Amino acid sequence: MAAAPPPGPQGPAPPLQYSLLLQHLVGERRRPRDWDPSALGGIPSPAKSEEQKAVERAMESCAFKAALACAGGFVLGGAFGVFTAGIDTNAGFDPKDPYRTPTAKEVLKDMGQRGISYAKNFAIVGAMFSCTECMVESYRGKSDWKNSVISGCITGGAIGFRAGLKAGVIGCGGFAAFSAAIDYYLR
Amino acid sequence: MDPLRAQQLAAELEVDMMADMYNRMTQACHRKCVPPYYKEAELSKGESVCLDRCVAKYLEVHERMGKKLTELSLQDEELLKRMQQGSGTA
Repeated sequence: MAAAPPPGPQGPAPPLQYSLLLQHLVGERRRPRDWDPSALGGIPSPAKSEEQKAVERAMESCAFKAALACAGGFVLGGAFGVFTAGIDTNAGFDPKDPYRTPTAKEVLKDMGQRGISYAKNFAIVGAMFSCTECMVESYRGKSDWKNSVISGCITGGAIGFRAGLKAGVIGCGGFAAFSAAIDYYLR
Repeated sequence: MDPLRAQQLAAELEVDMMADMYNRMTQACHRKCVPPYYKEAELSKGESVCLDRCVAKYLEVHERMGKKLTELSLQDEELLKRMQQGSGTA
């Protein structure tokens, strides 16, 4: 494409050679430049340092979120286990003497065991759910209610699948419904 | 056309072109990736991932369109040259 630009003060200007211009703009002869977004029209803000970017990237990563959920699940499961041990106790039960009160040591041991076992379970489930939700969200590129439903189904299915296919399906449905309810409440 | 003159012109046009492209890209990717449900100020993971992909695709489209346009403009110039030569000898 060669156009005739309007005549300048020295007479008609030479015709523009668009292919040459384009090569300078987007082709092989383009020289890479250091562009400042505030100069191009963005809102000027101080540039982030490399360390800050690395820290933010780590905190947004799926692994960090899974670890966070794991730790939170551990704490919550521990508290829940200790609490239910107080309610639903069967520590220190002697068949020969059913009305014997258990000693403090037995009660504490039972609370500790239950606390640890619940904590481990909650930690694993929490980490699985958080990890799958983060991966599903990264894959879809959207953040809406469907992410938690899909990852709830995957987590519940994986947990229930060890007890057979039907238990897996029920686990999937139940966990997905639970996740959807929590999501609805939170949003 | 004088290559030095072309380079100067391209340098002037490049700033305009880059600013325009940045603004259009921001608008397009915001429209596609950030739904207007503002529950929190931070970008969620899904939105950040979508924005990364949107920018990468936009820049690739820009590059490819530029190359295609350069090709077409070269063809046009060949055609014009042949026409001028044809009309010159005729």
